[in-house]
Amino acid sequence: MLLTTVFGKTILDRWRGVTIGVVSLSALLYFGMVVYQDIDLSIYSNLPPAFEALIGIGENADVASLAYNAIYSSYGAIILAGIAIAMGSAFIAGEERKGTIGVLLGNPRSRTQVLVAKTAAMLVMMGLGGLVLAGVGLVTPASLGVSIGGMDVAAFTLHLVVGTLFYGFLALALGSWTGKTGVASGVSAGVLAVSFFAVGLLPMVEGGQTWAKAFPWYYFAGSDPLMNGVDWGHIAILGGAILALFVVAFVGVNRRDLRTRSTGVSLLDTLRANPLTAAATERLAGGARVSHIWVKSASEYQGLLFVVSALMFVVMGVLMGPIYSVIDDAVIEFGASFPDEMLALFGGGDLSTPEGYFQLESFGLVTPAALMVVTITIGAKALAGEEENRTMGILLANPVRRSGVVTEKLAAMVLYAVTVGLVVFAGTSAGNWISSLGMDYSNIAATAALATLVGLLFGALALLVGAATGRTRFAIAVPVGAALVLHTMNALASLTDAAWGRLSPFYYYLGSDPLNNGMAWGDAGLLLALTVVLVALAYPAFSRRDLRQTG
Amino acid sequence: MNDQIALHTEGLTKHYGDVRALVDLDLDVRSGEVFGFLGPNGAGKTTMIRTVMDEIRPTSGRASILGMDCQERSVEIRRHIGYLPSDLALYPNLTGKDVLTYFANLRGGVDWSYVQALAERLGAQLDKKVGDLSSGNRQKVGVIQAFMNRPRLLIMDEPSNGLDPLVQREFQAMMREVVAQGSSVFLSSHTLSEVQRVADRVGIIRNGHLIARESVSSLRSKGMRSVELELASTPDADVFRRIDGVRDVAVENHRVQLSYEGKMAALLTTVAEHYDVIDISTQEADLEEIFLAYYHDERHDVAAEDVSR
Repeated sequence: MLLTTVFGKTILDRWRGVTIGVVSLSALLYFGMVVYQDIDLSIYSNLPPAFEALIGIGENADVASLAYNAIYSSYGAIILAGIAIAMGSAFIAGEERKGTIGVLLGNPRSRTQVLVAKTAAMLVMMGLGGLVLAGVGLVTPASLGVSIGGMDVAAFTLHLVVGTLFYGFLALALGSWTGKTGVASGVSAGVLAVSFFAVGLLPMVEGGQTWAKAFPWYYFAGSDPLMNGVDWGHIAILGGAILALFVVAFVGVNRRDLRTRSTGVSLLDTLRANPLTAAATERLAGGARVSHIWVKSASEYQGLLFVVSALMFVVMGVLMGPIYSVIDDAVIEFGASFPDEMLALFGGGDLSTPEGYFQLESFGLVTPAALMVVTITIGAKALAGEEENRTMGILLANPVRRSGVVTEKLAAMVLYAVTVGLVVFAGTSAGNWISSLGMDYSNIAATAALATLVGLLFGALALLVGAATGRTRFAIAVPVGAALVLHTMNALASLTDAAWGRLSPFYYYLGSDPLNNGMAWGDAGLLLALTVVLVALAYPAFSRRDLRQTG
Repeated sequence: MNDQIALHTEGLTKHYGDVRALVDLDLDVRSGEVFGFLGPNGAGKTTMIRTVMDEIRPTSGRASILGMDCQERSVEIRRHIGYLPSDLALYPNLTGKDVLTYFANLRGGVDWSYVQALAERLGAQLDKKVGDLSSGNRQKVGVIQAFMNRPRLLIMDEPSNGLDPLVQREFQAMMREVVAQGSSVFLSSHTLSEVQRVADRVGIIRNGHLIARESVSSLRSKGMRSVELELASTPDADVFRRIDGVRDVAVENHRVQLSYEGKMAALLTTVAEHYDVIDISTQEADLEEIFLAYYHDERHDVAAEDVSR
């Protein structure tokens, strides 16, 4: 029935992602409120405003506002924005990449009609998601007996939905204009990341508050809608931007030649195409790229590796040093007086020391996330992706064992994880050196190594799920979901020193405070052992089953 | 290692849940022959090929290639075979040359001048990205990779898909040449004409059952055709039904459509006696017609076997 319209088909294709996102957020909110109920929150009552802005809590910190902010405005906003970006980049550019746009437009539907139908589906799904989140946001505290005082949950979720839709429309506009999914999702995710950090960091710097207004994230959270209700001015700014992006998408998709099933152009391609450099390139890289399965697998993700490495090196590494130097002294002084249990919430970061600051800003969340983006992508696509693209059959027609293919794909993943780990170490060390922060280099190395192991653990999970199912969708969803739950579990458990926090692998990452204490070999060994177990399971899982036949 | 038999299956059976994709398949492909594997879409051709390629595992029965068990010695087998899967997918971001280099590296022992000769023969474009090639040109890359290691057995699943008639002819000549040198070809197809042109023997599969194994010459002698006649007057269908070898007669105004097995002269003589023939067109009967006409008994047997199981 739903297949009768483009709108319906889009809903059918996308409802799962939205539902999973909304359900996990609802569960996390409930979990969060339960844990916050158990801890003494009096320490939150006199934080300086700058610090409150950074960690995203309201002036009257209590159970409800902490949970809303910790779950909905950090995880929630990133998850919803991610879902919106996935939709926006898939709508036009995704159909082009898959080569299905031609047959879709072979029906009596104009490009504009397709664009409008798909956009409407995105609006409806995000809107419904927002309604559910608002409902859960009201029901959860009521069922737990938590007071929400004068908090305006509806206004908060309205800001959340409109704020994250912006990124979906940005991806839609870029995808419709260029026809390239990589550009659409990459640039949108980049804008999301930059604006998230800019709005978090800029207010800590003298005069930074004004600059923060240049970033879309500001209009989602800047007015503190949970406490102050809807800021219609901010909503109007976001709405106007969304409308403008839609116009760009409309013009973009109508103005140009549609692409057929497309291939990207890498730097290597450009060099090979140029007669001046062709011979040299061919000798250096042309044949080398396809010399082994692991080299070829690695070369496929060089773009991803480059972007993640650049981000980690420059923003999370080098720039962090100078930024730390100019952070308001007041914030740092105040940080020194924080009780330990509270610091744990933010990844154990103590702003009065550079170690704590780096832990809060980089190692707590962003570094493991960056590593996981790389390892889970390769882990999931290495086996399952090759199966879904129907090239596994012809690859295995060569005299290579299935176990050999697993090993080579694993090698590519390990290579990339280690590379990102080294980049994190180099970037952090550079930031440390430039601003003479005095952090111990071997401790930085230890922390980067532990982060690499965490990344590999979840990458191994992706590899295992992909090996067992042959489906990239599962191979991405399972480790991402697991990482989200386990990270939250560890953060919440550390507040109360609950023993169940030790069930989370993240406990063995920063639990020993490696940035101050150096390498915890036991923890590293445990993470490595878990990874080895998952990898060991992937071999029989892949070797024993029937390969899928798709398409 | 048995030099006489290139591919051998014994009671090969594959079930997907309740679906019996392949049932008790017994067949041999001899050295130095092209074996055509014919069947309509969904008959089980690809399932059979994926099973012997060890992509999927049989529910029961066994298969061997060049005397080696397809599951236990699959890696060693793959040194000696060339494989072209159906609905070929390659790496869209690599050029044809990259793809061939990749597989040549994995396979070892590929003579690059032979690759270039094959490419020239088929008119393949190797410097373009596979993703930017038309499906026919992509298929050429697939054909080259299957032939390039001079395999002792070529397993090809609907290889002519997308190839234009001239290239198809070249490709068929290539198959005959490797067979003349002692290699074997297992050619799955739903096109009778292609199989007739190139194969020595044919196996026909339907609903997972191998319902016939014949030499192509005997299949050709059956030579069933579908014939359409345009006459000056409206004919009596019974006149045609009485002719030996005619079946499925349909009359519409001045037109007659029928299936015919036998020498064309016999049909034409009888028709000319009764009617004034204005136009005649004939074409090869499609597979389905041949199945219905000739393999009714075999199908019946198979059905009876199924029930008794």
